[in-house]
Amino acid sequence: MISSGLINGLIMGGVLSLPVLGVAVVYGITGVPNFAIGLIGVFGGFTTWYFLSTGLITAILLGIAVCFPIGFFLQRVLLTPLGRKKSADATLFFLITCSFGFIVEGGIRSLFPRATINIALPRLGAIHIGNVSADGFKFVALFVAVGTLIAIRILEQHTQAGRSLQATSQNLKLATLMGINTDLVFSLAHGVGCSLAAVGAIFWGSLYTLDMGTGWHLGFVGFIIAVIGGIGNIWGGLISALLMGMVMSFAGYLLGGVWQSVILYGIVILVLIVSPRGIMGSERAL
Amino acid sequence: MAEPILKVTNLIAAYGPIIVIKGIDFDAFEGEIVGIVGPNGAGKTTFLEALVGNIEVREGEIHFLNKRIDGLPVMKRRKMGMMLMPQENYIFPYMPVKRNLQVAGFLNTDEEKKELLEFVYRLFPVLAEREKQIANTLSGGERKMLSVGMSIMANAKVILIDEPSIGLAPKIVTALFENLKTIKEETGKTLILAEQNVKILNIADRIFGLEAGEIRFCEKTEDLDEAVVKELYMGE
Repeated sequence: MISSGLINGLIMGGVLSLPVLGVAVVYGITGVPNFAIGLIGVFGGFTTWYFLSTGLITAILLGIAVCFPIGFFLQRVLLTPLGRKKSADATLFFLITCSFGFIVEGGIRSLFPRATINIALPRLGAIHIGNVSADGFKFVALFVAVGTLIAIRILEQHTQAGRSLQATSQNLKLATLMGINTDLVFSLAHGVGCSLAAVGAIFWGSLYTLDMGTGWHLGFVGFIIAVIGGIGNIWGGLISALLMGMVMSFAGYLLGGVWQSVILYGIVILVLIVSPRGIMGSERAL
Repeated sequence: MAEPILKVTNLIAAYGPIIVIKGIDFDAFEGEIVGIVGPNGAGKTTFLEALVGNIEVREGEIHFLNKRIDGLPVMKRRKMGMMLMPQENYIFPYMPVKRNLQVAGFLNTDEEKKELLEFVYRLFPVLAEREKQIANTLSGGERKMLSVGMSIMANAKVILIDEPSIGLAPKIVTALFENLKTIKEETGKTLILAEQNVKILNIADRIFGLEAGEIRFCEKTEDLDEAVVKELYMGE
């Protein structure tokens, strides 16, 4: 039971960690919590599903690529100018991004013929670890999450673009004074974050089903897990996603499925009271 | 007489409805250290922020390298060669020392980056020793050295530093000011320092006295009555 709980928790955490990385990148760098990010990711998932007949790789790349300009221009046209206003606060961004989520939801409903889909990606067969067996495809999500995280780290360490992202997230005023185009950095980060959310939605849509509710769920749960990890701290986000996956998995085994959310959100409240900057620490608090 | 590298005419700058800078005339020449002294609330920080474009200028003109720049954004002024090190939050706290310096020098060529890094490490050997250390684990004095090192790496023609001595022990302030003098002598850069520490009088070529948003005097340091300046503008 313990090994089964661990492996299932790991898999659930792996799937959850992808939208969490999107949230962590966007909020960590821009300081704007985008609650529409899950819906934008779902838009990417629907795009992949719609174009599957053109080829698997093309469809996945299209799904990921279409989310980049949405995030980029959302930041460039709406959020960056709003952020300059003195009246801009977290409540305003909450309302704006939620409203944008409803616009994306309307867009999905009007553009695609179905409201609930399953993305039929090729399976890898069962993988056996001890006496536990699981769909091998589920492990891919975990590897993709870890691989993405390592890629982001390499980008940060070895490229000027990565250093500019890091500098902007750590000290916006100084980065601007140094001559970094922080408006462009914000837009790029938001584009990348939304593309990561699309990767998460594509996996989710392949393992389960994808609909509008999934979009809101991934956005909010992704945000909560990112907060617990230490918002903007992408390693913290991954570790937090894996821990939360474990918690949900064991809560399901020991107490039944209805208790998963109770335990999860109970831990969220506890962590926020004890450590508002998350378990791994963060430059930002809520 | 040479043209000033930076010339400000009748500058008025404000935070919303509150006018902080009330018609300042100012100039700085290539290769000099200019001190701006004044009590708390005199407008020193606001003036520096207005020069680099962080605060909107209501009236007046700023000319840098004979070009009018008061309508340009921060990034363009930086690329032209003007840079401000702010009074607080002047490092990237979670980056190692060396990466702070690399980020500051990102507009330079590879050769310039190498030469400037060598110069910074020669000036502040402790930064070379601690190049892999995360910046927010440095002491207050070392952080200031890092911020000055970053302003050197930025390779700006005019470097503005807002109260470099604040929060530092007297011995460290003396060493830091000596290093600023070395920067001027070895690179020919113009340094504009807003200060409340009397030691500025030991290194500055000229001093502007700022009070309630207006320039009260501008004198060569050797012509100043130090006692009066200390009493009126430096809380001595």
